[in-house]
Amino acid sequence: MDKIVLTIDNKRISCPPGTSILQAATQNDIKIPHLCYHPDLKPFGACRLCLVEDEQSGRLMASCVTPVAPDMTIQTDTPRIISHRRNIVRLMIAEHPESCIVCSKGNRCQLRWVAAQMGIGETNLYAMPNYKPLEQANPFIIRDLSKCILCGKCIRADHELVAVGAIDYNSRGFASRPATVHEQGLEQSNCTFCGTCVSLCPTGALSAKNSRYVGSPAEESFSICGFCGVGCSLAMGQSANKVIDVNPAHLTESVNKATLCVRGHFAHDFLNSRRRIIAPMMPKKGEGETLQMTPVAWDEALDQVAERLRHIRDESGPQSIAFVGSSKCSNEENYLFQKIARVLIGTNNVDNGGYVSGQFLSTILDQKTGGGCRPSPVSDLEKADVIVVLGADPNHSLPVVSYYLKRIAKNGVPLIVVDPRKTELVSFASLWLPVKPQTDLELINALAALLHETNAYDSEFIDHYAEGFSLFTYALSSLDVDKVCRMTGLEMKDLNATTALLEEKRLAFVIGHGILQQRYGTHTLGAILNLSLMTGSLGAEGAGIYILARENNQSGAMDMGTVPNLLPGRMPLAEDSARKTWEKNWGVKISPDPGLNLGRVIKAAESGQIKALYIMGENPLRSLPQPQRVKAALANLDFFVVQDILDSEIVKLADVVLPGAAASEKSGSFTNLEGRIQGFSPVVSPPGKAKPDWEILDLLAKRLGAAEAYGTVEKIREEIRHLVPAYADMNGRGPGWVKTSSPMAVFGAAGAREKISFSPVVSTADEPADSDYPFTAILGSLRYHLGSGTRTSASDRIREFDYGGEVDISVADADKLKLKDGDAVRIETRWGEIKRKIGRSNRIEPGQLFVPLAVNANDAMNLIDLNDLADPNTTGWKTCAAKITKV
Amino acid sequence: MNMKPPEIDWDRIHEIIEKHKGVKWGLIPLLQEVQEHTGYIPPESIELIAEAMNLYPSEVQGVITFYAGFALKPKGKYVLRVCRGTACHVKGGRSVLRLMQKELNLKEGETSSDYQFTLETVACLGACFLAPTMMINRDYFGKLSPTKVSSVLGEYQKK
Ligand code: SF4
Ligand code: SF4
Ligand code: SF4
Ligand code: FES
Ligand code: FES
Repeated sequence: MDKIVLTIDNKRISCPPGTSILQAATQNDIKIPHLCYHPDLKPFGACRLCLVEDEQSGRLMASCVTPVAPDMTIQTDTPRIISHRRNIVRLMIAEHPESCIVCSKGNRCQLRWVAAQMGIGETNLYAMPNYKPLEQANPFIIRDLSKCILCGKCIRADHELVAVGAIDYNSRGFASRPATVHEQGLEQSNCTFCGTCVSLCPTGALSAKNSRYVGSPAEESFSICGFCGVGCSLAMGQSANKVIDVNPAHLTESVNKATLCVRGHFAHDFLNSRRRIIAPMMPKKGEGETLQMTPVAWDEALDQVAERLRHIRDESGPQSIAFVGSSKCSNEENYLFQKIARVLIGTNNVDNGGYVSGQFLSTILDQKTGGGCRPSPVSDLEKADVIVVLGADPNHSLPVVSYYLKRIAKNGVPLIVVDPRKTELVSFASLWLPVKPQTDLELINALAALLHETNAYDSEFIDHYAEGFSLFTYALSSLDVDKVCRMTGLEMKDLNATTALLEEKRLAFVIGHGILQQRYGTHTLGAILNLSLMTGSLGAEGAGIYILARENNQSGAMDMGTVPNLLPGRMPLAEDSARKTWEKNWGVKISPDPGLNLGRVIKAAESGQIKALYIMGENPLRSLPQPQRVKAALANLDFFVVQDILDSEIVKLADVVLPGAAASEKSGSFTNLEGRIQGFSPVVSPPGKAKPDWEILDLLAKRLGAAEAYGTVEKIREEIRHLVPAYADMNGRGPGWVKTSSPMAVFGAAGAREKISFSPVVSTADEPADSDYPFTAILGSLRYHLGSGTRTSASDRIREFDYGGEVDISVADADKLKLKDGDAVRIETRWGEIKRKIGRSNRIEPGQLFVPLAVNANDAMNLIDLNDLADPNTTGWKTCAAKITKV
Repeated sequence: MNMKPPEIDWDRIHEIIEKHKGVKWGLIPLLQEVQEHTGYIPPESIELIAEAMNLYPSEVQGVITFYAGFALKPKGKYVLRVCRGTACHVKGGRSVLRLMQKELNLKEGETSSDYQFTLETVACLGACFLAPTMMINRDYFGKLSPTKVSSVLGEYQKK
């Protein structure tokens, strides 16, 4: 389209039609003051601070809501404008209370900044402060609406960016203020405490509550959130080497832009927890001859680790040693970690905490698609025809992904939510399929069969890029749809409505732990891939399969080979060529012995087969089922090293404790769920004698016989970049992307010819009901905690919020059992029991319970059995048969 | 004496909501109908309305509180609106209001405990030539004097 040419402050400017004057000026480095405008929000024109003058007509107009017109001549800074602007600010100040000096917004207050810029101190106006009571019943956000200037940023953020709808304008005129429904405190509303409104509020009306610190940070630095797989960009404020404030970094290219979630915004308190480990420790005899954890020097601790590991390897062989790396540590650290295991010790017994989330299931996708099916930017979902969310509750697990999904659904892209529970996403969905737990596989197969029946699939795509279709459709034809309805609890009309939405569409799948941790996870992913092939949904933007990584570097740890069956770059250990490549890279022989995964390591420790274990940044006592059994297994080890940041039960069992550092205290990079590799540098230094984890590993490697120390993160990065083609893009600064190279024709690489084969159609059997345990307990995460909750539980504000993890029960069942909200109950399964309070809920079907994870030291893991999630016959970790009694 | 607000006819409210469900721009007519029928919009209905109209509950509340025509509290059988506009002010509107407050023992915006009367003020009733004025439900009363106010009120108190 033709560009529009206009003049702003005597500068000729051209820009596309529809641009506002403010945007046009900003793009050309002309600064116009503004308070209610924000590039990510719809313009609102409330504050009038952005006034400019049209030279021809002499009209004053708000530049944020006025589009450019041809040949306009705009002045932004005439005495007339300045005097108007001053008056506007004076009026705002006149209505403002006098607590500027002690305002918790501190230097982030834009009103104060604007007033200072204009030299407005005293207003000489009749002060008419608008007193409203201070609201601070929750530990996260203080609302002092007497300081509200009605810019509407909070409301627009809440509606347009995070799509929660907790607040809106209430009343008119002088009394008008943003309010929750029924004008209650935020904690009584559906507010998620994402804090997005707080970061955007230009005054002290909304500010972060900080119990430990009042004032402004000395400095703000860039970092990456270390909680979930979204990998939000952060601006961390520090003072006296402590992180005291977190806001979204707001970079145009970041995944989160102006948003965050409650964890990123408020849960970084764990950094300053008194439970941080600040020195290396070893059990030593104290008074009365009892062993006590005693601080030791780094040299002593590391020498001990090296000596004992070498000794055990010489005595019992390398396979008696296991390593568990971290889905929270950086790529560089994970690379080094598995290299120590494979090269210096000689074992493939190396895994990471991503095991707990079922991350390894994505191997099936890698295998089938030759590694081509890696996730793409979440923002591509905007281009989707239809989005199918399966077994995922991103509102809680990966909140920023849910913001995307809700915004996209509001813009009209059909969203299908497949979940036993009526999650918050359901209100945005075109269709909700409340399948019974673990029956997603049946549903997906049935949808494929129905699409086949109506010929509503992409036969051209299948001809070009897939093979085995006739065998696949033959298997589909024997599918018993009545049985599918019976098993899933859906009706034929639900299935028909779904197929109608899917017909001739390309699909994007968003997959969560409901699939990855369930009983038939692998088969379900296979079926999803089948459906993707059938509908031509691979190799195109806005289509394909998104695996929601629960933890920040779950995907990266796998890429770095910190898993038993893959070498760096996800090269299969079982393939001779892959081993040869890495034998050449590292100049050693690599054992073809498939190593043990985390689940198996614990069982091998139980039986005495594993004698030494080195754990970095994971706490299997909290994250694995049957904690008592895990504890006994760990106690059975000859030698146990724990490298971590927080004191915990597991630390008490260790023979050597090495204090590591959190992301904000070191350099490194994380790979998020999209395959975005994001580098970061330290904001503060590690507490006490703690060291960055890569440095600890580097020092240890030297002692275990590495020829040369790396010395810097950049050196490690260089090696990864050089040896792992997928990570050629990795740098220490801005984002890079994981590169895929697949031999499959659909991904379009030059010369790629291969076709993707359909996976066999697997049918499951009806589950007999267990009359002793009539309920199905579903385990899942809630937004206040991440994973097993080690870090979030050490965060002051999350603790203060005191979220109890009430078990959801349907109103019908609660009535039957005469349970009121808040009644204490015992939940029992064949494996163990826990006590919780109950919450009556209409988000859950009768016969089901929802048990939130992470609270009470993640006691919910007592309910399930320590079966190997990677075993094809696993019963899964997602659900279990349970009974409930009032106590 | 009836000390409780009028019973809410929830069946009717559900019907009204059902009727407007999902209709574009249907929120205001829906609210009007509920207000008309129940005399106010029960706060407990906000979530139901929001769900039916696919809006956030806070948005629905925002609309209700924005328009003076909608109320979230039950009002009396008779809503008295005393004019506070300029013309009425000049002609002694203030003393009319004060007298009403005294006679009914209500402050502005309050409803009597028997839900007979609600006292409100408005900016201008648009009948300035009759100043000072007031309205009771849909009826106008002009050229008010203390005696006239007392007699009108007396009438309604008897009803
Ligand atoms: S609370 Fe803050 S962001 Fe919200 S309208 Fe008031 S000043 Fe603006
Ligand atoms: S914290 Fe987040 S959810 Fe709560 S009101 Fe603000 S933007 Fe909305
Ligand atoms: S926990 Fe996830 S969604 Fe929340 S701020 Fe961190 S990276 Fe973003
Ligand atoms: S910035 Fe334009 S009116 Fe507020
Ligand atoms: S001022 Fe009272 S009716 Fe106009």
